[in-house]
Amino acid sequence: MTAPNDPLADLLPRIAGGDRGALRLLYQATSAKLFGVCLRILSNRDESEDVLQEVYLTIWRRADRFEAGRASVMTWISTIARNRAIDRLRARGPLAYAEQVDDMEIADGATGADGLLEAVQSGEALGKCLSELDDRTEKVIRTAFLEGVTYEALAHRMATPLGTVKSWVRRGLLKLKGCLER
Amino acid sequence: MSEDRELSDIEALAAEHALGVLSAPDRATAELRLAREPAFSALVEEWRVRLAPMLWSVAEISPPDALWQRIERGLPANDNAGKGVQFWRRATIGSLGLAAASLAAVAMLAVQRPTIIVSPERAPTSILNARLDTEKGQHLFVAAYDPDRRAVMISSLLPAGTDPGHVHELWLIPADGKPRALGFVPVGASVAIPVSEPMADMADEKAALAISVEAPGGSQKDGPTGPVVAVGKLLKI
Repeated sequence: MTAPNDPLADLLPRIAGGDRGALRLLYQATSAKLFGVCLRILSNRDESEDVLQEVYLTIWRRADRFEAGRASVMTWISTIARNRAIDRLRARGPLAYAEQVDDMEIADGATGADGLLEAVQSGEALGKCLSELDDRTEKVIRTAFLEGVTYEALAHRMATPLGTVKSWVRRGLLKLKGCLER
Repeated sequence: MSEDRELSDIEALAAEHALGVLSAPDRATAELRLAREPAFSALVEEWRVRLAPMLWSVAEISPPDALWQRIERGLPANDNAGKGVQFWRRATIGSLGLAAASLAAVAMLAVQRPTIIVSPERAPTSILNARLDTEKGQHLFVAAYDPDRRAVMISSLLPAGTDPGHVHELWLIPADGKPRALGFVPVGASVAIPVSEPMADMADEKAALAISVEAPGGSQKDGPTGPVVAVGKLLKI
């Protein structure tokens, strides 16, 4: 069963069956997005290339685990890319990602992924719900997610007690969930 | 407004894990729970789906042209053929590059031979390697079996402080599919675990290594009592 509006979903069973051409098509359609995600987290081209290679090898080996009903292909593979990039980031050391102390950047949230309808819609819904949070909580959640920053590093960056940062994030996540369910 | 409402503890942990804010030991503990608690795993999955759209706004950047060739060269022969058999039988063929640090750890263990002289007729390539992954592909342990030393050298990649209150028990799963207990692997440490005579003969390329999470003292029966969280086939490099 594949989602009718997920143009990439047909590729996964073919990849699971060992079709290299299908992996190549997936790579052509998604590598720029995933490379962007890796670079955003790692800010280093060589490391991002290594991680991207790992990501497509992981997809090759695990395509049979993809469940079309649970998430879109883009969600599944972007999550793999983000997790692998964060693994690599964390391997640099506990505070390697805490250096940037002053302003935390907010992604503009403007572009959708490859014009995929599902991606555009879910991106808009999440963007709207994030913007309903107070500015500080929105920044903290976006920064944590897009830069792979832990509670400890966030607390360090913001010179705020760990417990305070935690409660901002938890309250923000609760509101986000409520908003997305509306 | 229901402002006094809170996320339940399990959901808060799932959301924090999906967001990526947990410290290294908390993150590793969450990974172990993912591998053994379907309810927790489902919550994490829901949160990943909720949060993933933040990635759609990240600018696309084309990777260099040569990268596809690199990926294609690295593709192993398709190893998805054994689907539907038990989890440990599905243990992955090593195709990913190991994290440099973990590879170095095992390489070091593998060369820490006792000071006796290695008999020259035994090729050093008889060492078998395994990378033990969760079902979701997270690397948790790397191991090497040295038939000369009759020992498994294994490194736990979990950060110190992970999952206190449980022990990680190592199993050999030979061709007959029956797990044999080998010993315990301390969190974040590298150990050499001797393999006694009848089992040493079963440690070949048809065998796998697995780790189960057990109450202190380990499993009290013939096989794992707790959930098997990581499995890897023994392979020649």
